Amino acid sequence: MSRSPETELCIGFYTVDQSEFTGWTGGLLILTANGRPLEFQCTLPVRPTRAHEILYGPTLRDYLIGDAIGSLLVKRCRNTPAFICCNQPEALQLEAISDAPLALVSEAAEADEGPITDDVLPGYDLCEIAGSTLRVAVEQIAAVRHTATMLTNMPDMLEPFERIREAINEAQKQIARAKAA
Amino acid sequence: MTHSNTHALVIEIDAAQTFDALNLVAVDTFELPVELIETTAISIRLQAIEIKTVGFQFPRAGGGIKVFRGAEPTACEPQNSTPRVASPITIAATSEPVQLARQRWKKGKITRIKPPADVVKLEDRLFYLLQPPLELLVGSEQLSFPFEPFPYQLDGIAFLFPRYAAVLADEMGLGKTMQAISAIRLLLCSGEVRSVLLICPKPLVTNWLREFSVWAPEIPVAAIEGNSPTRQWQWTSPDIAVKIANYELLMRDRDAVLDHDQHFDLVVLDEAQRIKNKKNATSGVVREISRTRSWALTGTPVENSPDDLVGIFEFLSPGFLNSDMPVASIARATRDHMLRRTKDMVLEDMPPKLYRDADLDLTPEQRATYEKAETEGVVQLENLDQQLTIQHVFELVLRLKQICNFDPATGSSAKLERLVADMEEVAASGQKAIVFSQWVNSIDQMRPALERFGPLEYHGRVPHKQRDGVIAEFKSNPSKHVILMSYGAGSVGLNLQFCRYVFLFDRWWNPAIEDQAINRAHRIGVAGSVTVTRMLMANTIEQRIAAVLDQKREMFDELFSEAKLPGSASLNREEIFGLFKLRSPKGRIAG
Repeated sequence: MSRSPETELCIGFYTVDQSEFTGWTGGLLILTANGRPLEFQCTLPVRPTRAHEILYGPTLRDYLIGDAIGSLLVKRCRNTPAFICCNQPEALQLEAISDAPLALVSEAAEADEGPITDDVLPGYDLCEIAGSTLRVAVEQIAAVRHTATMLTNMPDMLEPFERIREAINEAQKQIARAKAA
Repeated sequence: MTHSNTHALVIEIDAAQTFDALNLVAVDTFELPVELIETTAISIRLQAIEIKTVGFQFPRAGGGIKVFRGAEPTACEPQNSTPRVASPITIAATSEPVQLARQRWKKGKITRIKPPADVVKLEDRLFYLLQPPLELLVGSEQLSFPFEPFPYQLDGIAFLFPRYAAVLADEMGLGKTMQAISAIRLLLCSGEVRSVLLICPKPLVTNWLREFSVWAPEIPVAAIEGNSPTRQWQWTSPDIAVKIANYELLMRDRDAVLDHDQHFDLVVLDEAQRIKNKKNATSGVVREISRTRSWALTGTPVENSPDDLVGIFEFLSPGFLNSDMPVASIARATRDHMLRRTKDMVLEDMPPKLYRDADLDLTPEQRATYEKAETEGVVQLENLDQQLTIQHVFELVLRLKQICNFDPATGSSAKLERLVADMEEVAASGQKAIVFSQWVNSIDQMRPALERFGPLEYHGRVPHKQRDGVIAEFKSNPSKHVILMSYGAGSVGLNLQFCRYVFLFDRWWNPAIEDQAINRAHRIGVAGSVTVTRMLMANTIEQRIAAVLDQKREMFDELFSEAKLPGSASLNREEIFGLFKLRSPKGRIAG
């Protein structure tokens, strides 16, 4: 992830959408402090082969979300977010390659993962933004809390994931139309 | 074998019945050759998962006009602009509007800005799709409202925002003004547009200025007015983000507005039905204005025939529609460009509009005058034979309608008697009423009988400068129970939702104009039901016209539901002649 000339505050939202028909599609949306879009990076649908499925076994999801897709999107991103929100715990592994702290939006993750507690994520601390609870690695929590004080006009921390899914759907529709033409 | 002295047991082995185990299998050794197992290592190459990415950059919101948050400018960066008004806007994530918006969001109500069908490029489509839903912007500096908007109003803003050619055709009273202002505000704040020209009828200029101060107080807005040098300066001033001009002025300032250096990012036409006639001079000037986006606001996109819509689209997107297109094709083609909602569709809890047709009989004096005028008039028309024109018929219609209002000789009027009786009840209950008439002369005649109700007047003979004062007095003075209006002056742009009664003293030719008039009172904010009394004289020309008006209303409804248009929907030449079962120069017309 290269440094952007833009120095104004922005934050990232990252999720991976999985579909039986299209595969795994990742999206990274960068928003201003007001929730406006600055940048959107997404992958084309990723389809692991049968060999990948067998050999990666249950770790395939970890690998795709927390490594292959996420690291590529973060590297491609031209803006530098203050932190990156995710709704899948696997994405927290991106801390290893990202300059920006990763934050799991608990309410966004709980729909699929069930309750996110301290036992589930040891070593993570809490930060509240726009009515949502973010879990951030203790080493990064101070920085995220500091940024949170500047995000008083951020409307919502769950909704951007929905935008990413909408954008992915739109992109896939265009790809399908292009193929059909 | 055992021996004993006394007994001897002899045991012998019967060789025939016994066997020796050793004799069963021949004891020997055997050699079996075993082949060696050959092992081969097979390499399965697990290829790296191929991932392709695509990225989009969007312009940072800003570059538009300055928005003030408290004393400091916020997200919308200043660009050589000096806002005339800089009202502070309080922003806090915990503020009530934001909380309300979040509640709506959590309930699943979201209004997303969806890209129009004619936006093809993925990057452009994503730019709109990735904007936050309007519910979440409510309360922020880009979309703060003095009142909580209705969900359908957010839909309207979301409709206008991404469109380069759009008609907002909501029924009167649903808040087209607020929706247009909010969409303009969003575009200015996001830097999508920098210069906006809003064109409206002259009496509505002050109304627009007032609405901007309510819905977008930080937007620099000015009416183009004053002497020629002042106007020249205003036309060229980059500091005025939104310029408001009236249609009449546009003709006078034609050179300035059409100057080759003059370009607007957005031109908005209010009461856009003014340009439905492609051939009139105003339409010509409006179409020539250099612009990027074009919006039309009208509660009556179709007044007489689908051709009206063709005229409006000549401004929005020249050539997009043509007069030869079937109604169904027009409806299909305009679907993505036009948004029309009626009160029935969106305001389920809005108080009802109650129609009461007052079918009255002419007074004896009126009847005598009327019958004489009609009989003589028809004879005169028939005598004209080949010289008979539609104008002659119109003159007779107007004369008869005026008699239906007042007997010219005696001033006798069944309608006025009824109006006075009804007004007693209106005033006694502390309510207010609007009376519409086609003629100022009729208003003059009804005024004396209504004096005790404190009548105010609003029509073509009332100077423009006094009109706002008339409305203000009507609203605030409890002794003023009735305002007498002409359809022309009072049917558009006024907010009189504090009135619970509307009287149509006579009927206009077009039901759309009547609807506009009625909706002065029946609009957002109305406290209770609105009773509309349509006065109609039985067995007169008024009744015959009413039948044609009903047909026209059906046509309007059918166009917007994509049904087929009945061929005889509009008040055409034949129907006008048919009002008197006249023989037109081309032959007899069925009545």
